[in-house]
Amino acid sequence: MKGGVLVRSIILVVGIYIFLKFVLPLVTAPLPASLIFLYLTLTLSGILIFATLSGESTEAFWGPIFRFLRGDGQEGAMKLARLAVLLLFPLLVGWQTYNSTAPSDQPPGENRTIHPAPPGEFVGLSNPFQPTPENIAYGKGRYFSLCFPCHGNFDGKGPAAKGFNPPPANFSDPTTIAMLQESYLFWRIKKGGVGLSIEGMPWKSAMPRWEHELSDEDIWKIIMGEYDGAHQKPRTWE
Amino acid sequence: MVDRLSGYRQSLVGGAIVGVGLLIAQPVFAQESVAVRAHVAKGTVPVEDPNAATWNDVPVSEFPLSPQVHWPTRILEVTAQTVKVRALHDGQQVAVLLEYADPSEDPDDAAALEFMVGEKKAHFAHGQPMAQVQGGPVNIWFWKNKDAKVLDMNAQGFGTLKVQDKQDTKGKGVYQNGTWKVVFSRALSTGDAEHDTQIKPGEYINIAFAIWDGKKLESGDLKEKGSQKAVSSWWYFRADPPPDYSSYVYAALAIGVAVGVQFVII
Repeated sequence: MKGGVLVRSIILVVGIYIFLKFVLPLVTAPLPASLIFLYLTLTLSGILIFATLSGESTEAFWGPIFRFLRGDGQEGAMKLARLAVLLLFPLLVGWQTYNSTAPSDQPPGENRTIHPAPPGEFVGLSNPFQPTPENIAYGKGRYFSLCFPCHGNFDGKGPAAKGFNPPPANFSDPTTIAMLQESYLFWRIKKGGVGLSIEGMPWKSAMPRWEHELSDEDIWKIIMGEYDGAHQKPRTWE
Repeated sequence: MVDRLSGYRQSLVGGAIVGVGLLIAQPVFAQESVAVRAHVAKGTVPVEDPNAATWNDVPVSEFPLSPQVHWPTRILEVTAQTVKVRALHDGQQVAVLLEYADPSEDPDDAAALEFMVGEKKAHFAHGQPMAQVQGGPVNIWFWKNKDAKVLDMNAQGFGTLKVQDKQDTKGKGVYQNGTWKVVFSRALSTGDAEHDTQIKPGEYINIAFAIWDGKKLESGDLKEKGSQKAVSSWWYFRADPPPDYSSYVYAALAIGVAVGVQFVII
């Protein structure tokens, strides 16, 4: 089939692009444009190697492209199509060059580690208090008088939350306290935003350093109240 | 017939190449309010005029505010819920205009900008000392209605606020129809990098905002004062660099090369 290799190649490249861009994100995270570009470049390289294995296949691949660009025997719509390609291709190259060299107006990206490792003294501590109804109720009471303004009804949507970036933690979200040990919460409550390590930059956490205002007993009981109120369980050593 | 089919295939080839190229092209992102950009002023920078007509042409960034809860004495409700920010510079002077709602004009109404100083990062709450790493100080530009001026200050933690010996800042506040407009201004660089944030056009730095409603309550206390204020987290600030046209030159060169390649093929 004349031009068959070329048409199949085009279908393959377009098909792979559609798969990477639109189908794959249905089952996993979307791929960055640079990775899609890399995959397409690899595909194209493979096609070019395959298409130039013999003189016949080389002609089948490149022949239609050269004939189209040279305008051999073209009439009507084909002439217009050729003219459009000859005009659009340089413009596209110019546009891409502009985009890749134009100075960025975007602020620098932030590589903040959401849950940086705690200092050694806060690793593996156990809650010294039993989760009795009295202790949980006491912890919840302290939670609602001190933590509720920002963390709300365990959902991170307290009345004072909206100006903070990052937003106060949503304890009902399974990716927050449910994947942390009680000792981690003890550290974050006791030392607050200023207890964060270098990985926690750019230090925008408004979390108070509660060790100045609360006893360790209060902090442990508040932790119980948080887990109970958010219907979560602390992570434990399996 | 075969020739015609071949022709259609060929046009499909051209169209597909252009189509794939367009799809791969990088998207253009819209600006969100994560940053204040000081635009290059066409005339003089209105360093002490919050009502200057020039401000109307400057794009607005808006940031939410929260009560200051990080440090006692904290507050749980504040008057100012958001602040609108515009900024201009001319390569020498920079002016930042804050605009926010306040139902009453009071002598103790106040507003402030906060920047980091030097290479060390600082916590947004007055540069509170960090427990694990050494943070840096902050530079605060503080305006109060009854003082009718902008003070140049430093802090490294609550309770360490200090007015600088050398004052580089100026500004003015105007109250109209339930809205404060306060302009803060200073030279982009001051030569005192130890105390003052240095603003280099083209570089992003961090900025935070604070607002106090100085209304006097029946008890005689002020509604908001000291650490009881509306605050924002760190956001970004940049004085725009002078226009750079080199990308247009590179694009024109690339178009020339592409046309040349086509010429060789044809």
